[in-house]
Amino acid sequence: MQLTGLLWGQKLLKKVDYPVAKVLGPEASVDEIKELINDCGAVFIKPIFKGGVGKKGKSGLIGRATDITHALEEKERLYFAEHVVGNECAKADGVTFEGSVPAEHEIYFSISDSTQYRAPMMTITHHGGVDIEELPPEKIQEVPFDPLTGLKSYHVLNALEALGAPKALISPLVQNLPKLWTLYNNYGMNMLELNPIRMSPNKKGRLTPVACDFKGSFDQDDPAWTRLDLPSHLFASDYSEFEQEINQLRTYQGQSDVFVINPKGTITAPTFGGGANALVTELLGEKATISSDFGGNPPYAKMNDISRIVFKYWLKQSNVLFIIGGKANNTDIYETFRAMADALRSHFQEYGPTPLFVVVGRGGPNLIRGLNYMKDTLDQLKLPYKIFGHDSAMSEVVNYAHRADEWMAKEGAAMMEKKMTGATPEMASV
Amino acid sequence: MHKEGVKSFPYFLGVNSLAEMATKEDTVCVLNILGNESRTVTPVSHEFSGQNIVFGTGPGKSGQKLETKAGPIPVYNSIKEGMEAGHKFNTLVVYLPPSGVKDGVAEAVRFNPDLKKVVILTEKVAVSDSRTIRAICQTNGVDVFGANCLGIADAWNNVRIGGALGGSNPKESLVKGSVALFSNSGNFTTTIAVYLLTQGWGTTTSLSSGKDVYIHYGPAEFFHALDNDDRSTSAVIYVEPGGYYEHDLNITKPTVACIVGRWKARLSKACGHAGSLAGSGDDAKAKEKWFMDYFGVKDIYTPENPVVSKKGAVVVNIAYIPEALSAVQKLNGIDSDFAPRGDLSLKCWFSSTAGYKLPKELDVQPIKAISPYGEQIEVISRQKGAQLPRQTMKDTSGASMMDPKTQVSKIHGLSILEASKRTLEENLVFSLLKEYPDAYGKRLANIALNSFVNHNNDISLIAANAARENGNSPNTVLSAAVAIVGKGKVKDSIATTKILIDKFQHTGLVNPSEDFDYSGILKELTDDNKAALSYPNPCARGIMLKDALEGMDRPSVFVNFVIEAADGKPSSSALLAAIWTTLAWNAYMTKDISKATLTTLSWHSRIFSTMVGCSVAEKKHTDTSFCGIDNKELVADWGFTETAFLALIGRKPTDDELFEFSMLLGLIITNGPGTISAQGAKGGVSADGPAETERVQINKAMIGFMTHTGFAHGGNGYEAIAFLIERFKEEGLKDPASSKHGLDLKAISSKYADWYKAYKAEQKSIGNIEYKKIPCVNHPIFKGKPVNYDPRERFVTELFEEKGIYNIFLDFYSNLVNSLFESKVTKDVYCVNIDAVIAVILLKIVWKPFIEGTISDEEVETAAFTTFLFGRMLGCAAEVDDHTNRGRNMDTRTAASKCLYVR
Repeated sequence: MQLTGLLWGQKLLKKVDYPVAKVLGPEASVDEIKELINDCGAVFIKPIFKGGVGKKGKSGLIGRATDITHALEEKERLYFAEHVVGNECAKADGVTFEGSVPAEHEIYFSISDSTQYRAPMMTITHHGGVDIEELPPEKIQEVPFDPLTGLKSYHVLNALEALGAPKALISPLVQNLPKLWTLYNNYGMNMLELNPIRMSPNKKGRLTPVACDFKGSFDQDDPAWTRLDLPSHLFASDYSEFEQEINQLRTYQGQSDVFVINPKGTITAPTFGGGANALVTELLGEKATISSDFGGNPPYAKMNDISRIVFKYWLKQSNVLFIIGGKANNTDIYETFRAMADALRSHFQEYGPTPLFVVVGRGGPNLIRGLNYMKDTLDQLKLPYKIFGHDSAMSEVVNYAHRADEWMAKEGAAMMEKKMTGATPEMASV
Repeated sequence: MHKEGVKSFPYFLGVNSLAEMATKEDTVCVLNILGNESRTVTPVSHEFSGQNIVFGTGPGKSGQKLETKAGPIPVYNSIKEGMEAGHKFNTLVVYLPPSGVKDGVAEAVRFNPDLKKVVILTEKVAVSDSRTIRAICQTNGVDVFGANCLGIADAWNNVRIGGALGGSNPKESLVKGSVALFSNSGNFTTTIAVYLLTQGWGTTTSLSSGKDVYIHYGPAEFFHALDNDDRSTSAVIYVEPGGYYEHDLNITKPTVACIVGRWKARLSKACGHAGSLAGSGDDAKAKEKWFMDYFGVKDIYTPENPVVSKKGAVVVNIAYIPEALSAVQKLNGIDSDFAPRGDLSLKCWFSSTAGYKLPKELDVQPIKAISPYGEQIEVISRQKGAQLPRQTMKDTSGASMMDPKTQVSKIHGLSILEASKRTLEENLVFSLLKEYPDAYGKRLANIALNSFVNHNNDISLIAANAARENGNSPNTVLSAAVAIVGKGKVKDSIATTKILIDKFQHTGLVNPSEDFDYSGILKELTDDNKAALSYPNPCARGIMLKDALEGMDRPSVFVNFVIEAADGKPSSSALLAAIWTTLAWNAYMTKDISKATLTTLSWHSRIFSTMVGCSVAEKKHTDTSFCGIDNKELVADWGFTETAFLALIGRKPTDDELFEFSMLLGLIITNGPGTISAQGAKGGVSADGPAETERVQINKAMIGFMTHTGFAHGGNGYEAIAFLIERFKEEGLKDPASSKHGLDLKAISSKYADWYKAYKAEQKSIGNIEYKKIPCVNHPIFKGKPVNYDPRERFVTELFEEKGIYNIFLDFYSNLVNSLFESKVTKDVYCVNIDAVIAVILLKIVWKPFIEGTISDEEVETAAFTTFLFGRMLGCAAEVDDHTNRGRNMDTRTAASKCLYVR
């Protein structure tokens, strides 16, 4: 759950009274933009991406204008800009107009939870405005601090002194940066980054640390972020329709985490356990429709709901339904398999039968009752299946699922389709 | 700020050796001990560990107890209350919901100065709470494990603290050995322990670390404690991407590291483990490199490329851990702990090809599972027949459905269009067994059904006649007859079926039409068994049935068994049961049908025979014949479809007529569970209470179906017939099957269209909007295009064309919809709907006797209604059986809050 840009960032920063550049949203009128240019001398035009999208500047996705004509041209160029980072492609929906903040110094500042120190940590440098990874270690200060007392002025002071920062920077930063801990700690954040903070002089020459960009991420498991009253659509673009529907079932008892791997995949694998999730998704590769972790002993009703949603979205295109997990410690196999089998039966009743090869690998409490329930259901649905014990290597079971997928793609699915539609209903006979 | 623990750590660490991590001296308090997860897990831990749990908490649950085999564990409202009751503990296990975890830990730290360890099982603890928990515990000198972990288990000490490592039978997985385990995955902690057994390695301490953003007890602490543990000669560590916990480790003992999750580099949000989301430089590849550097190896270990050093090996597949560890320890001159137990090859426990031919590499054969699972499978596989989950079946069916888009209904997943290509007897078997019979099975079904059609001197026929003579509609007449076919009438058949199931289901009999040695079973039969199969007095129907069955070229194990058991004098009821058991055996053994279904098939069969038989007037039933056909001939040679035709029309159908009649019956099998006929049948079952299947009166449920038909539903087919008769009665039509009829259909339809146009205009002008509509044209779904078709009508028409079958009435309907458009009665060309197809088939069949005056208008109407009942009885029998097997008592009722009162 990430948030980038000043459009929403300014609203958050204002909660803790932190100085921020003037910002107008995509709805800004020509007069408003003109006024901003008059006030600030120039505006930056930045596309609005949902979620976390970095390195916009490097990709030429930040415009700068000193007159309204140029500002509107940049608006047109960037309004629906596309930004590709790695495998991800983000599409903009609107732009912001951010008032230019003249400054000599740019600061990088972030708070995150450090796995190295196992504590919250401030990262700061007065050589900001660039990628932090590009700076040598001696130009950066990483300061872990006690979460019970929080980020204090002396943390900032000591860090800036250690960096040898110009004296003029120290006082305004020491006064303002600790406010950001309040934002971080009180609203369920697990990363907050301001880069750059531009040290803007007032008429008397005193510097103000003005946030000119914002990046934050929120802890999905911490309800504190809901106090910010952010509209839910801000995070919605992180997820597909399927993920949104299934993630509504997210509770602490029984996970329901999913991630769409390949919308054109042919193996749908409800996976149990974080470890199995990592291993199976790795080995299935692009064949997988989704990556999932449904462990944590989900109760029947939840598992049934999850399965119904998974089947609704993915079964039609799948050659193989692959139910896989290790030897469960606590997840009740009978409850979870009964829930999945019932959901499969309901799916066939609602949407009609679909060609499917079912491969199962699982162990755990109530194992045989659970496997047998699944077996009976599959027999009744007339689907071919192979159910493996937990004493089979999980990777071998994954390989078997791959082979089943290949056969289905080659001839199995067509064979089943023919039989299921009753075109040649040569049913078994006495 | 932290208390001082192990000096070499810049933060507090209390546990100095793995041997101290989970010991018999540890005493445990479990928070939320009566919660769902703890309730099942904690008793196992308590028993395995030798009663290490001193008490648990549950707000408002003080005074309760968690029962375990090792004695009850007391429950208090709070830690304070538990301690005031005199309990002492050094370890806290947390099963609280995420929002309560921080407070629970704070409470324990505040009230218990002896606290040394906290194990947090809870998933989805907020990061902000985790950092606070860590700070509190660091300040107070408490080690934290987790969160989102499965705790600690020690195979040497037989102790498990928190969570469910080893599952419900920890000794099965946690076998004493020399390998220490650390895993980000709780499930893989146990799975890896099980895998290690295959190379003869057991475990010392197994630790599930969790994989939240905060891992409170991480690899650095683990390897420190490993170094101080004399029992452990090696370690296995399973890690996932995200976090720098594995960076800069000091590993001193041989170790296999398994790093999984290269693909996670593509994730933009956590999936599964919350902390398993890499930032910069902490993805799976980076971690592989860290460990390769520790061990001084250049590559990942695989069986094909077994790269190891004395220090260790890196794998990316947990299946390679055992052999990699063996290879590492071989270099160190250390043997495995014990002989290998099992292996990791593919072991299929359950398998089915569902009748498809699988390639050899896919057709893995099932083997006997390891103990105790193999024994459990053996026990469970003795349960035969389907067992369906019960649910509310109001407006719901596992037998039929209608596709709202195509309007084509399905029975057991098969389109009625396809079903309509089959005979009545085939569909009848299919409706109950979900599979079609082969030629042999078809013959058996015909014998069973035809044997009970003749109701000479039978009270059912007398009841039907009485109902008929008093002016009742065909459904009411047949209801009267079916009311007599109660459970008492079929008790011998039911008893026989139960004997056959009981004696044969575990014998391995697969195909009852092949030779099978049942001599042993015969000897076991009691006198009571034998009495149930035979008839004390000569039974003409039994003899006739026996003769017909013995005349078949293939035997049935069940029929032969019944005959032999009854000393050659089987009752007709016993033979009927034997036939249906033969027909249903495959479906029963493959769990397509339940025992309740198999037991009641004879009852359904008798009802079908009664409905067809009693639709015929009393005078046509004699001692020796039915509708003039000799009983023996009927049983031995006739198909049930022919018998049904005979009952309606009074003669044997031609081949074309048989085809058309079968199609007609097939098309009306079902229209889904929403139709009122199906609702009547389902209501009949629901009211009896299907939870106890034996209480369901099948004949009463079938009466429910029939009482839910009437002049508007089932009897309305006559409207179209009457309409067609009106059009053709003066046209001199002799043979509606001949395309050379010499009539100008276009002219007839145009004439009618013109008349209708004028009629409609006139009615509208006088303000009558209830003017009569033309039956069987147009459809609420198949409309709006320039030319419209009902796909079901097209299917039938094309099939008729393919077979060279002509029907003048259908031809007329095609002309009519065009004429209506040309005369501007309709704004586009309406479709001819499926009801028209049904009407034209029936009218074609009865046309000749009708114009010859041998049957009256009223008889045609009765025939139309009865035909509907014959077709729909199959679908409703399927609903009755389905609802019996799946439904709940009174589940078709509507809540009072959803009922409306109007005035």
